[in-house]
Amino acid sequence: MGEMKQKSLFVLVARLVLAGVFVMAALPKIQDPVAFATSIGGFRVIGPALSAWVALCLPWLELVTGLGILLPAIRRTSSALIGLLLTLFIGLHVSAWVRGLDISCGCFGAETGEVSSDYRWLIVRNIALLLAVALVLRQDLRNKNGALRS
Amino acid sequence: MPRFLREILIIAALTTLGAAFSLSSGLAPLPWVEPELTAGEIRLVDARVLDVLWIDARGEDAYNQGHIPDAIRLNEDNWDDGIFILMDAWLGNPRPIIVYCGSASCGTSKRVAERLQEALPAAEIYSLHGGWDTWVK
Repeated sequence: MGEMKQKSLFVLVARLVLAGVFVMAALPKIQDPVAFATSIGGFRVIGPALSAWVALCLPWLELVTGLGILLPAIRRTSSALIGLLLTLFIGLHVSAWVRGLDISCGCFGAETGEVSSDYRWLIVRNIALLLAVALVLRQDLRNKNGALRS
Repeated sequence: MPRFLREILIIAALTTLGAAFSLSSGLAPLPWVEPELTAGEIRLVDARVLDVLWIDARGEDAYNQGHIPDAIRLNEDNWDDGIFILMDAWLGNPRPIIVYCGSASCGTSKRVAERLQEALPAAEIYSLHGGWDTWVK
């Protein structure tokens, strides 16, 4: 019983960390989508027109999923989407690192003082967050199976 | 309706509402409207009336095929040689520096302009909106 409680506590902490990171990442980008579009352009993966759409929608998706991971009504899909986003971010950072781009990450908006990205740190940070997502999803899956059995 | 689909629809609806709020409140520019100048850019029409020093940030082949008269070729590939020529020209007659690359989407001119600004903090440096394509038109 004690072990179960400990595991639930871990999952709760993982949920809160993921929610905090995604909400904190979303707010500055919602306030300054133009600067975020410039950061996206720096990755040289999509053009300016698409960057403007991504800069408009992605921060809101981060905010909704960041809060959604705490809300029973949408928490499973929010966790899965956060996992997908983190995988995408890892891929983008690896790609920028391989191409030798010296750019600002833009992860928490443009006004955070980041001049250039330490890709190793960004990738390790996102992998750690991805592991937290895996923990949360596993717990949700167990809860679902438990509910089906009972 | 399956739970997964229902959750996706809720998340999509909330995200759309948020994006609509950004647009209606003026926080975000309309993405389908081509933006006016971004920070550090100058229009060709404005550049033409100034006495400026042109920097061509494109590759050597593109430069040899055609460039703005008297433009100095300078980018990450020939930085050490190009900056020496630029310094010589600019110190002899300090004036605004305008960097251009191939098109509106190339981005090299902005990176070169930023790097130049670090090397020449006192200089007035811009990147040309639309790049070489605009000049050719």
